[in-house]
Formats: sequence, structure tokens, C-alpha cells
Amino acid sequence: MRVLSRRKRIANGVLVAVMLLLSLLFLFPVVWMIANSFKPDGQITADMNSLSAFLPPALNGGFFDNYVTILTNTSFLKYMLNTLFYAAILIVLGIVVNGLAGYALAKIRFPFRERWLLIIMLLMIVPMETIITIHFLFVAKVGLLNNVIGYILPMIVNPFNIFLFRQVFISLLDDVYEAAQLDHCSPVKYFFTMVLPMSRSVVATVSVFTFLNVWNDYLWPSLVFTSSDLLTAQIGLGAITANENTTMGQTLAAITLITIPVIIIYSFFSKQIVEGVVSTGSKEG
Amino acid sequence: MSFIELKHINKRYPGVDKNAVTDFNLEINEKEFIAFVGPSGCGKSTTLRMIAGFEDITGGELMIDGVRMNEVAPRDRGISMVFQNYALYPHMTVEKNIAYGLQNMKVPKDEIKKKVEWAIDILGLQEYRYRKPKNLSGGQRQRVALGRAIVKDQKVFLMDEPLSNLDAKLRVSMRNEISKLHRSLGSTTIYVTHDQVEAMTMADRIVIMKDGVVQQVGAPMELYEHPQNKFVAGFIGSPQMNFYDVTVSGSTVTFADGSRMTLPQVIADKLSACGGELILGIRGEDIKFDSQNLGLYGESKQQAVIENTEIMGNENNLYFTFGGALTVARVSKYEVSRIGDSVEFVFVPHKMHFFDKETERVIG
Ligand SMILES: Nc1ncnc2c1ncn2[C@@H]1O[C@H](COP(=O)(O)OP(=O)(O)OP(=O)(O)O)[C@@H](O)[C@H]1O
Ligand SMILES: [Mg+2]
Repeated sequence: MRVLSRRKRIANGVLVAVMLLLSLLFLFPVVWMIANSFKPDGQITADMNSLSAFLPPALNGGFFDNYVTILTNTSFLKYMLNTLFYAAILIVLGIVVNGLAGYALAKIRFPFRERWLLIIMLLMIVPMETIITIHFLFVAKVGLLNNVIGYILPMIVNPFNIFLFRQVFISLLDDVYEAAQLDHCSPVKYFFTMVLPMSRSVVATVSVFTFLNVWNDYLWPSLVFTSSDLLTAQIGLGAITANENTTMGQTLAAITLITIPVIIIYSFFSKQIVEGVVSTGSKEG
Repeated sequence: MSFIELKHINKRYPGVDKNAVTDFNLEINEKEFIAFVGPSGCGKSTTLRMIAGFEDITGGELMIDGVRMNEVAPRDRGISMVFQNYALYPHMTVEKNIAYGLQNMKVPKDEIKKKVEWAIDILGLQEYRYRKPKNLSGGQRQRVALGRAIVKDQKVFLMDEPLSNLDAKLRVSMRNEISKLHRSLGSTTIYVTHDQVEAMTMADRIVIMKDGVVQQVGAPMELYEHPQNKFVAGFIGSPQMNFYDVTVSGSTVTFADGSRMTLPQVIADKLSACGGELILGIRGEDIKFDSQNLGLYGESKQQAVIENTEIMGNENNLYFTFGGALTVARVSKYEVSRIGDSVEFVFVPHKMHFFDKETERVIG
């Protein structure tokens, strides 16, 4: 192990202290939210001007009341499960479709390949909001409003992910493909049993991005879905908080529930997220 | 009938206005070990990859076992291949790497097991069977690659510089292992290398290429003793053959620095037709310092001062300037000469090679 000089150790210590303070700054709304999500509204107001606004209440019988209400009296659990389901489908389809496209752009020679790549990269700078009307009109025209398929179809193709896949696949060695050919491995089989496992890291990155994208998206599901059976968590949250019977504490509980997966994902997959941001040079969503 | 036939094979890469391989003709017998050698970029890999089917053949015909292969997919050509960078499947264990092809070929499970066992056994990979390639050394990886190639019972083995990523010592032992494998399996092998020692020690026949053109095909000693042109003469053998610009008239050879040698009449007769300006080549070991040879060819005796020596132990190289060129002579370890020594020597006349100055083709 490296022995740090005294000066370096002090510098390190100062740096850590500063970062801790900074992270507290960013954390305090989250702490406030979680602490108050366990309180009835009366107590939230009472605690508002004291330090106990950042502390959870004493553990008593009613500790989880807000959560129980949200999960049993509203459809919020169903909305969250809906969203998980959509995310799962979109992760699988997204990997297959964008992965295949990325593979073609990286490894298969075809006319105007570079032009295609350029077009796809140009798509990356077009904000989603500008094409969403076209998506909406299209989905409406084919009669897929209020339909899972109508929701999912326009979300599958993602230029960021295509580019991400392409960047990784381009460094795969061609002789592995040639060896696989001699081992009687078909191109499709090669893609699924060799390319994807060899590129586990980018597959994870794309999965994480896709999940966060689906989980946090508000605009598109709010356009496509009107039936409450199909709503996503974000839309559901909007509906629940808009209801005047919902208390402040319940609202905070719902927001906490919707935030937890994101926090978990960020803490477990920060490496993949950084990798994704670094290798495309941009952050989506 | 020969087993593999390359008939007037040409290759031109799209967008390149020069052939990578030009009019390649070769007949390979069953069980033969053929080596392609030549300097970097001469088209060895391109030719091998056309045989494998990874590159289209621009012109000509490739036959394996009497069947035209130009349009056949690589996997249906009955070949296996060992790659320079091993090309192992990084996410599979050694065992799975070796078994993968057989599984895809729908070979029965117990047979796969038997074959993989056999390959792991003869390649000494028992300890490593559950490891992934990244946890193996270069030599072990190349052995896995060999294992993957041999279990499939293909009739043709293609190898593209399989040992070039290994260190010198390992290369020698793997060389022997591959030779042994070839002898015991009896599969037809085409082996690409830029290392003439590998080619000389392993191959039944060597194909020497330069700029996409075959220079000479022959058994190792045939190429060594009877090179068809100056390129082959210079490429095969280490240290390199010595070359001199000379003028031949009658039986007298005159070097650029005015030195003269007398040729035996038989050799002079052969050269008479194309006399005049020629290139003389002689290998280091055919320059003799001992009294017996000096006595035999005394009338052509020469003198020089040793400028440098390379002591190898089993033999030594002596460097001196003669005939207007730096000359290297290869002598036994008993021949003790030092830098600054003045020495007398002769060229063994019937070991001299003469090449046309224009075409660089051998004369006689
Ligand atoms: N895909 C390609 N496109 C265009 N030219 C190529 C391609 N592959 C090889 N070449 C050219 O063809 C010629 C022969 O290449 P090849 O790889 O066969 O040489 P080699 O003898 O195997 O050399 P090395 O010993 O360096 O491997 C070279 O001039 C090379 O630049
Ligand atoms: Mg090569």
C-alpha cells in the first residue's frame, strides 16, 4: 500500500470534508422528504420550523400509515408494477433492436453506412419533445392510444443506445466472429450468445438508462394513456397528489416510493452510468 | 490428385488499385504441412483467408478435395483455423471454448465429452479447464485455440502466425508441439509465418511470397540450396546470404574492389551464355578458413581483416569487408579469430549462386 505524505493526508481529509458538506446540501431535501413521509400532516406543520423537520417521528403504531394508505387505498402499487413491466419489455426490446442496429453500424459493411451513422447521431441532438407530436399522431392514427403497444413502439429505438452499442461493438475482434463461424455459430446466435455476453457492461448501461428513462418519463405516457389501468407511476403520482383527499404525508410517501428505485439504481450502477455518459459524451433523458 | 488446389488465384481488395495476391498456383497433397512465408504485407494472410473463405476470391479457383470452394461458406469447407490473437471466446471456460463447435454441430453429448477430454489431455490443459481465457498465459491460450481446432476432426488446418505473440522460448516448444500434433493427426496444414526458422523447421514444403507473388515453392533444403532468385536466397537462412556485384569473363570473377577469383571450368561454362555483370551470392558457412579448403582452392585465396565478431557459442559470425560489401562468414567455435586479425579465406566454388542483375533470377 502507498503511504501518503502528511500534507497529502491533510489535503485528502479537507477534500472529503468539503464533499461531505456538499453532499449534505444535495441530500437535505431528500432527508426532509423521507423524514416527513412518516408523519401525519399536523406533525409536519408543527415540526416545520425546527430541526425535527429532518428527523423521522418516534416508531409507533402509526409509523407506516402514510405508506399503507398509499399502497392500499390508491392504485399506486399497480402503477409502479405497470412501470416495472414496461421497463422490462423496453429493456429487452431496446437491447435487441438498438443492439442489432449498433452491431450493423459497427461491423457489417453496407452502402452509406457512415451516412446512416451520421443521421442517427443527428437524431441524438433532436429533443424528444419535438418529435413526440409525430409519434402521438402516428399512434393515434393506427388506433393504439391507450394501448401498451402504442406506448412501447415509439420508445424502443433510441439513437443514444444505438451509438453506445456501436462504440463498444466496434472494438470487438473480428477473428472471434470468424472462429465462431467455423464453430457453426449462426450470425444471430453469435449476436445473442457472444456479442451481448462479451459486452455485458454496455448491456448493463443501456438497461439502466432505459429503466431510468421509463421510470421518470412523464410526457409520453401522459399522452398515450388515459385509462387508469395502464398508467405509469409518474402519472399516477400526479393523479394521486392532485386528489384533494391526499394528505401531505401521503404525497411524500408516494414520492419516496417513486424515488427509491432511482436511488438504488444510481448507487448500484454508478459505474455503468458514468461509462455511458463518458462514452457517448452526453446524458439522455 | 492433390487435396487442395489453388488455380490462378487473384485477390484485389475493393478500393485498392493493386493486387494483394497475383496468380497464386499451388497443389497441396493430403497430410502435407505447407508454410507460407514472406515479409510483412506480402499477401500470406490474404491467401490463407481466401482458403478459409473469409475473403472473396477475386479471380481463379480454389478446390478442396476435388470440390470448387469459391462460393462455399467457411464452415462448410472442412477447415479449422488457429488465429494469431487466439480468438477465444472470452466469456467461456477452456472446456466450453473447446466444446463449442461440437455442440453447434449437434455431436452427441458423450462423444463431445470424450473428444474434449482427449484434446485437454494431449494439450496438457487439465489444470485450466474451468478457467476463462483472460486467466491464462499466452501459451496456454494458444493451446486452447489448438484444442478448439483439433476436436472438430476437420481435414484442413489453417494457422495464421499462431506463435508470433509468444516469447522465443515458448515459441520453440509450441513449434514442436504443433509438429507433433500434425504428425499424429495427419491433417493437411497450411501455416502462415514471417519467421523463416519456423517455416524451415516445421514444413514439408515452403511457399515464399513477395508482393503478392509466389517466388518459389519447395522443400526447406531445396530452397536453402537452390534458391530460384535473389529474394529467396536472401530471405532463407540466417545470417543472410552475402551478395556481390561481379563481372564474369571466362573463368575469372572480378569483384567491385578488384579482387579476383577463378571458377572451375564447369561453372564458367554455365555462366558463359549470360556472362558479364552478375550478382554473386554465397552463404556465410561456405566461406572457408581451414587449411584443407585453402589448399584446394588456393588460386582464389583472399585476405581480409576481421571488423566485428558475433560469438554465439556453438558457432561464430565473423564480419569483414570484401569485394566492396560487408561480408559475414559463419565459422565453427574452434575457429578463433578476433577483431583486427588478418585472415585468409576462400569461397567454395560450387556453393556460389549467380543471379542475373536485371531479373535477379538464378543462372545455371
Ligand atoms: N481489408 C483490406 N483492405 C485493403 N487492403 C488490404 C486488406 N487486408 C490486407 N490488405 C493489403 O493486402 C496486402 C497483403 O496483406 P496481408 O495481410 O495478406 O499480408 P501478410 O503477408 O499477412 O502480412 P503480415 O506478415 O504483416 O501479416 C497488404 O498490402 C495489405 O495492406
Ligand atoms: Mg498476416
